[in-house]
Amino acid sequence: MIGYGVRYGLLSTRRRRKALLLPGLTTATGAFLVVLVFSLAPAVRQQAAAFGHADQVFRATLLITILVLLTGVVEVAVCTTRAISQRTREIGVLTATGVARPSVAAALLIEPMAAAAAGAVAGSVLAVAAEVALAAAGSLSASPAPEATGLAVALAIGVSMVSAALASILPSWRAASRPPIHSLSHGG
Amino acid sequence: MTALMTQAGDADEADPTAPPEVPRRTGGTGTRLLRFALANLTRRPERFVLSTLGIALAIMVVVVVRTISIGFAGSGTASLADVLDGAPLWVASAQGVHYDSRLSAMLPGGPAPPLAAPPGWTAQQTIAGAWATGRGRLALYGRRGVPARQAEVGAAAARVLGVSGGQRIHVGGQALTVEINGTSRIVTVAPAVARRQVGGAGWWTVRPPGRLAGQLNLGQVLSAATGIPSSTDPAVTAGPHGLIYDTVGGGGSLTFQQRFSALFSGKVTGSVLGLVSTVGLILGFVIAVTSFLASVQERRREFGIMASIGLADEILYFFLVESAVIFVAAYALGALAAGAAVLVLAPGVASAGAWLQAAALAAAYLPAMAILGALVPVHRLLQQRPVALLAGAS
Repeated sequence: MIGYGVRYGLLSTRRRRKALLLPGLTTATGAFLVVLVFSLAPAVRQQAAAFGHADQVFRATLLITILVLLTGVVEVAVCTTRAISQRTREIGVLTATGVARPSVAAALLIEPMAAAAAGAVAGSVLAVAAEVALAAAGSLSASPAPEATGLAVALAIGVSMVSAALASILPSWRAASRPPIHSLSHGG
Repeated sequence: MTALMTQAGDADEADPTAPPEVPRRTGGTGTRLLRFALANLTRRPERFVLSTLGIALAIMVVVVVRTISIGFAGSGTASLADVLDGAPLWVASAQGVHYDSRLSAMLPGGPAPPLAAPPGWTAQQTIAGAWATGRGRLALYGRRGVPARQAEVGAAAARVLGVSGGQRIHVGGQALTVEINGTSRIVTVAPAVARRQVGGAGWWTVRPPGRLAGQLNLGQVLSAATGIPSSTDPAVTAGPHGLIYDTVGGGGSLTFQQRFSALFSGKVTGSVLGLVSTVGLILGFVIAVTSFLASVQERRREFGIMASIGLADEILYFFLVESAVIFVAAYALGALAAGAAVLVLAPGVASAGAWLQAAALAAAYLPAMAILGALVPVHRLLQQRPVALLAGAS
């Protein structure tokens, strides 16, 4: 049954793709920074050394890069609350026709997760392209190791999708749990 | 009759056609606006929590970076105080001076330029260099006035050397008695001892005669007498004849120490750290604006009703107060989380004072962000006629 919810979620995500541009962009910005900073860690560490306490400043740099990614993902969750508010009547129709609560919640969760995944992939691709361009221009003292870049990309996509799901699960579940009559009468 | 009167009295007391009495609330306009804002925010708790969290993350990023920046600037200012030792003029070598972040001390690029101090002026040469001890690198300064068999050791340097006051260390092949002085990573000895250990690189510090004390053109006066150019700007680098840094002159609003400190904090804010924090702040603002835009969209009917009874400016106030509540909550959360993060991740870089300064600096962004965050969505709303708001809301 959840499979139907996922398919319905994918369809509605495609229908509402324009609304997902901004959250995708904010996630892409965070992912871009995460991939760039983590894969160019030796250069960032060298720069951190100039401020004394190289390890501590380097750790702080990694932390704030992850925080910026999370800030970008929060926009995805804000967008989810807006989407739920706009789709209250639609959710009411689904629940009134007997669609189970987990399926409705899954359908609502697909949208933020797709936006986060698409944004993270786009940001990662841009970051890798920027690294290649910088290396070709001779701006990097050493090209980043492919393993480091791969790990950074995996981290950016993983953190984006997990945090988008975590931040959106509560509003989605609450919307799916609302009585159909309430959703149909209050829906905009 | 009495019974009739009693019945009539009862009927007056409980007239079913009378409108229900609305309880009167106490408090001024500000309190009412705040209550209204809180009621609206709690109507959509998820969005309130998410927008607060997003802005808090952005503020946390800014406060962490600013704390590191202020901590680093503090190290720079302390190193300047170690160099000057109370003198107003600092004569650097042609190769300039640089800050060694691992030693938290200023070091010269080459030997101090030849300097013949005018009559009445006091010039003191300092020998300085990096000293590789068996336990780690330290800054070694050689200054006149330190007894030949004594070493003034900063507390951080003493920790590296593993010594305490009264113990002996060997510098330049000579045994010296340790005296703990200050908190730095610097060991100060007699010039001859330092010269044997780290060579002849150094700088001069110059004091004017008493009759010129307090003048703001000391650098120019010394420059005219010695032929060495002078500057009141710490960003200027030395030329082939060296450079006199005048640390008390100049007519600007900032002191030499403040500009020196700004050079250090500028290095942090211009680094990857600064770039990332700027992006974080922009994303936080985007979250604020989109959150308010969503709120405006959902409450079009409500605002249509308000606008139709003449409440136009009040809508702006409602949003300003809501925005202020979100930003203040986000600021408190973000600043506290940043303090905890810095304490755990970078205790050596930042102090409680640096965190407080950084938090105060971040607070300066808040009013502008809160006002803009509310104005942008409401501006679009106020462009529309009440009837359009009511019609479009259904």
